[in-house]
Amino acid sequence: MGGGFGAYLRRSIALAGMGVVSLFFAVAPANALPSFARQTGQQCAACHNGFPELTPYGRLFKLNGYTFGGGQSNLPPLAMMIVEDYTHTQAGQSGGAKTHYGPNNNFSLNTGSIFYGGRILGDYGLGAFVQMTYNDPARSFHWDNSDVRWAHATTIYGNETVFGISVNNNPSVTDLWNTTPAWRYPFQSSSLSLTPSNKTIIEGTYSQQVLGLNGYVSWNRLVYAEVGGYHTLSQDTDMALGIAPNGTDSFRGMAPYWRLALQPQWGPNSFEIGTFGMDASINPGRVTQFGTNDKTDLGFDAQYQWLSDVHRASAQVSYITEHQNLKSSFAQGSSTNRNDQLHSFNAKATYSYEQTYFGTLAYSRIQGSGDPGLYSSTSANNSPNSDWWTVEADYIPFNHGGPDFWPWLNVKFGLQYIWYTKFNGATTNYNGAGRNAADNNTLYGFVWLTF
Amino acid sequence: MTLQTDRTDATRANFRWAIAIPLALVLAACNAGQPTSEQSAANEQSVVQGTVHVCTSCHGFHGRSVSPRFPNLAGQQKDYIAAQLKAFRDHTRADPHAHTYMWGMAATLTDPTIDGLADYFSSQKPAPGTTGDPTLIAEGGKIFKDGIPDRKVPACQSCHGKNGEGASIIPRLAGQHPGYIADQLDNFISKARANEIMHENSKNLTPEEIQQIATYVGSL
Ligand code: HEC
Ligand code: HEC
Repeated sequence: MGGGFGAYLRRSIALAGMGVVSLFFAVAPANALPSFARQTGQQCAACHNGFPELTPYGRLFKLNGYTFGGGQSNLPPLAMMIVEDYTHTQAGQSGGAKTHYGPNNNFSLNTGSIFYGGRILGDYGLGAFVQMTYNDPARSFHWDNSDVRWAHATTIYGNETVFGISVNNNPSVTDLWNTTPAWRYPFQSSSLSLTPSNKTIIEGTYSQQVLGLNGYVSWNRLVYAEVGGYHTLSQDTDMALGIAPNGTDSFRGMAPYWRLALQPQWGPNSFEIGTFGMDASINPGRVTQFGTNDKTDLGFDAQYQWLSDVHRASAQVSYITEHQNLKSSFAQGSSTNRNDQLHSFNAKATYSYEQTYFGTLAYSRIQGSGDPGLYSSTSANNSPNSDWWTVEADYIPFNHGGPDFWPWLNVKFGLQYIWYTKFNGATTNYNGAGRNAADNNTLYGFVWLTF
Repeated sequence: MTLQTDRTDATRANFRWAIAIPLALVLAACNAGQPTSEQSAANEQSVVQGTVHVCTSCHGFHGRSVSPRFPNLAGQQKDYIAAQLKAFRDHTRADPHAHTYMWGMAATLTDPTIDGLADYFSSQKPAPGTTGDPTLIAEGGKIFKDGIPDRKVPACQSCHGKNGEGASIIPRLAGQHPGYIADQLDNFISKARANEIMHENSKNLTPEEIQQIATYVGSL
């Protein structure tokens, strides 16, 4: 750590300074996203079951374009978020976890974000959630998850019907449930530990590198359908938005995205079952002369929430299967097979007490065809497979309003442990250099502040 | 190394965007202006309609709610709804859920809008009673009709009506979620919800009796 910690401290102080400035904006009681809370006048527990998981009302707030009001604050809907963290891995990473960091036991300023969250033109149903993030390990300031939407509610044959349009930058960032990739667990994780190298394209591969236009409709708060199309941004635009353009891919044409969900609710129970997916023709590395890699993701998901007053439980599962037709990679010699499969499974369950103490257990699995061309650089046996468990304990003291001296604050203290039973293909010596899956087991502590 | 240089350039360029995007949004938001306070009657109607849409996000379509956290409003007494909304607005109703959910909702409601909302919800068809454990219902019914004289618990029906229908500023209890009723009785007892009359009425009730009464009125 050494000098690293000094620099870390200086940056933390600078960010705290930014925080103090933003306090002048934030004079009303508020919680996660504080600007949403100022707008609605509600505490964060109204929308969140431990942020950022949404309650049924939180989903309707988003569905209706982030425009619901009631609060007295006429201040601009800006909010801040800071995540400071500590990462310990079972074995260090020689040469440093990242540039500027030691091999192990690193403190970092994981995220400093500024949000625009709330109405733009509330009377016209126009609202936004736009995040700009500074990530210290990557030393980058970039646009993060963003969703600007217009929504309109009407009654058709006696049933409430809400229509909406969203312009956004990440497939599934528009979604209302915490099962789809953009908003599923883990909600916070280390940038300084090794994580499995492979994921399906809908799981954030192109987050913030695409612009999408989606249209959605919700019928009777029971059926939700959405279709959208995404296109990659140019390298210049990537750069202007703080996304490192090197090695990015481009889509040929529009990549369609779809989502269908059914949400029955009874008493304190809310259940969702649905499907989602995406289909993209990709020029890997923006190289066009070898044709495209065509990848199709098909996802299935379900969520259950039981939200009583003192005890609460929620569970989410999703399964994504990806078919890869690797024409371009195959022609370029970077894949061995013409066709591959990749599957991802995620399940998590949370229990919370008084919306203050949270315990979470999660299981994740990536499994797919072996392919030396694709995986030999990360896996000694040319396999994408990984398997891991996560346990997490969180303490959120201010879900019902911050401390008297600072009521607009919310904070989450989290402690997470990730236990890999398989990593990039194997349990032992997965990289051919003697590293075992368990060497990447991670103990991760964080403080997540929003104000 | 080359990658690093790219990043530095990008950081400088994107800083301008980073400032420009939120600024543009803020300006748009400020330009949108505040809702004007003088609204014509026709306008008021559409404000009420739009607000009802927000209210029903928690209180359910037509004020018949799904979750016991959110009280049914359908068929509730008009004067009671208006009085409670004003109590949320001026924070005199200050139990924990009032604070979490309703203070914000009521903060900017004007008197005419409150009147319109109360009118709307009071004229909706009430939620039907829910079934429950028959012995709880029988015990609860006794307290509701006769009170518990030796512990100075009055007959609830003397104010809330024979069928729990309420009157004016006395709320309808019939068909209300038992969980919500029990919470409110606890709130009256602890004075989290300040109301002298209901504190006196409920302070000698045991948790079992509260369960019985809540199940009974919920079944009406
Ligand atoms: C975010 C969810 C939410 C929204 C939106 C909401 N409410 Fe409520 N409301 C509640 C909760 C929770 C309670 C119960 C409060 C308590 O336990 O003290 C409540 C209580 C009430 C009560 C008191 C009922 C009783 O029997 O005492 C009234 C009246 C009411 N709300 C009206 C409204 C109106 C009108 C709106 C729209 C302007 C609205 N609510 C919007 C959550 C909500
Ligand atoms: C003297 C008249 C009176 C009697 C007797 C009475 N109540 Fe009430 N009750 C009221 C009034 C008035 C309110 C409204 C309080 C307020 O404005 O906050 C109320 C409110 C309530 C509420 C809150 C309902 C809601 O929607 O939030 C419950 C529950 C309740 N009473 C139950 C009972 C029970 C059970 C009994 C019998 C043990 C009882 N009451 C006896 C006058 C009475």
